[in-house]
Amino acid sequence: MPTAPIETQKASSTAITARNVELTYADGTRAVRGIDLDIPTGEFFGFLGPNGAGKTTAIKTFVTLLQPTAGSVTVNGFDVGDDPRAVRSSIGYMAQETSVDEDLTARENIRFACEIYGVPQSERAERIDDLLDLVDLADVADKQPKTFSGGMKKRLDVATALVHEPRLVFLDEPTTGLDPRARNRLWEYFREINQQGTTVFLTTQYLEEADELCDRLSVIQNGQLIATDSPNALKSQVGGDILDITLEDPTAEQRAHAQRVARESGLFEDNTIEPTDEGIAIASEHARRAGTDLLVALREAGFTVTGFDIRSPTLDDVFLAITGETASEETADENQPGDTIQTEVSR
Amino acid sequence: MSTTDTARAVEQQAAANSFLVDVWIMLKRWLQKAVRNSAVVFEALLSPFIFLILFTQVFGNLAGGPIQELFGADVTYVTFLTPAIVIVTAMTVAIQSGTGMIDDMESGMFDKILVSPTHRGAMFLGKSLADVIRIIIQAAMILVLGYILLWIESGGSVGTYIQTGLGGVLGIFAIVIVYSLWFTAFSNIIALVTQDATSATIWMYMVHYPLLFSSSAFVPISLLPKWMQIVATVNPVTYGVDALRALMLGQDVLTVIDVTAFAGIWNTIVPAVVVLGVFDLVFGGIAVVLLHRVASSRVS
Repeated sequence: MPTAPIETQKASSTAITARNVELTYADGTRAVRGIDLDIPTGEFFGFLGPNGAGKTTAIKTFVTLLQPTAGSVTVNGFDVGDDPRAVRSSIGYMAQETSVDEDLTARENIRFACEIYGVPQSERAERIDDLLDLVDLADVADKQPKTFSGGMKKRLDVATALVHEPRLVFLDEPTTGLDPRARNRLWEYFREINQQGTTVFLTTQYLEEADELCDRLSVIQNGQLIATDSPNALKSQVGGDILDITLEDPTAEQRAHAQRVARESGLFEDNTIEPTDEGIAIASEHARRAGTDLLVALREAGFTVTGFDIRSPTLDDVFLAITGETASEETADENQPGDTIQTEVSR
Repeated sequence: MSTTDTARAVEQQAAANSFLVDVWIMLKRWLQKAVRNSAVVFEALLSPFIFLILFTQVFGNLAGGPIQELFGADVTYVTFLTPAIVIVTAMTVAIQSGTGMIDDMESGMFDKILVSPTHRGAMFLGKSLADVIRIIIQAAMILVLGYILLWIESGGSVGTYIQTGLGGVLGIFAIVIVYSLWFTAFSNIIALVTQDATSATIWMYMVHYPLLFSSSAFVPISLLPKWMQIVATVNPVTYGVDALRALMLGQDVLTVIDVTAFAGIWNTIVPAVVVLGVFDLVFGGIAVVLLHRVASSRVS
């Protein structure tokens, strides 16, 4: 299924062009089911989806580790099937599992990467020092990664993916399993290399991460792209800000009652009022202005409100709005909600 | 994707290395890892050392008599056993070759190299050369240890240790390489099939020990029971050990097949190299096919 129409970019070059890419594993698993993608040079692009959505499989076909079962992929102008070595020379790839050689020191790991990418001998020493600085590993440069924390190993892995100053870098769930501090640090590096002109392709299951970093992103589910847009445009589909109300006694009955009160108040459109675990949530363009009025209406109806929060929508809300499911849920349903959602997304 | 496609892509990418440079990069990394991992090197030497010392001490008196009868009064069990232990060492290093590749797959380094412009063939050639270098160095150490044992045993009068001289020493190394190829290939086949270091090691040792004992390695073939003599005839260990022993003792020691077309030790060496060459081709071929399947990006 094709994704939402892709803007024809004025930009002279395209980093990735994918046409109807499918990948079926030997056991019959259809991990990627027809992906179309155009990513202009210089963009920070993301694939957002839950575990098992096909993110890693898609990225592996882009970096020549897997051959697409059908369709075509062009990376930096080279076809992945016809010219894989040219593709490989022009990209950096950071796999989901941290890939460093623990027998070699940090410096030797980067030097080895320089060697396999053919970085000229005369440039190596300086390049290695620059990269060690970039990822803050200069003071442990001559230690083996055995002693490193998960975040440090990831940073070393990032450095080895950048030795040949690739035009395009693939980052497959680069921050999964890291603590927030390590994650924030990696984000800074990713932003920095993107600002220096490198196209970045990132996959993540963290909505916050995609929102924070990406110029555009595709929501991927069951091997298909179900929406492609900027984080803000996707968020605007939720329809305004989110008003979270926490009730003192959130029984199903109480929540239904509160929903009715909110609806009858005439402050919001009916269909944006949803029950939550703690109370109710309202997505509305008027959320900020009408919030206090709703509180008054609820109090007059006899409710005790223990929590009240007005916030901008997150990509969690986006995922919910597009798929009808939360991102963290395993998407095992057979009846492919993508088709109906598609029309909504591209309207 | 065919190899001709790869060759064409090479010419288009000035930044990528030549095939030989890639081989050198891979070779260097594996040697560096071996040096760093001194435990691995030590392990590969330990069991052959123990074999050589224990076997000569325990079985030296027992087997010494028949050996002197068969090969002459100046041949002791140490001289008889040393070539076999050289083969044991080569096999131990070969076993580690396969597990080294599994480690690379598990650590992600295998994929990391695959997404780089490194030549596929160079990945495996570089690794094999690193294995060969390790095998040569460790084989040389066993030869030296054998000499020391003999020196102690004979009270300082060793006489001629290797009957065929310097040429023989080079010949020993050449035979060790020819021998190692098939077993290194076999180790990598097991590694690719199991893709798990523990089960690969178990499988390798399950093959390793029966092969060693059902050959001419530890006692002359004529002392083995009849059925084991039959096994020994088709056992590559017999050919590897006998070829080395022929060079050490300067005698035609091959008894499992009777070749008289050549002169002296060549009646052992020529058939041994032919048999081992066939093993190399068969197992090397299977390993290359399997490696190609893993390294090429096809999913089915």
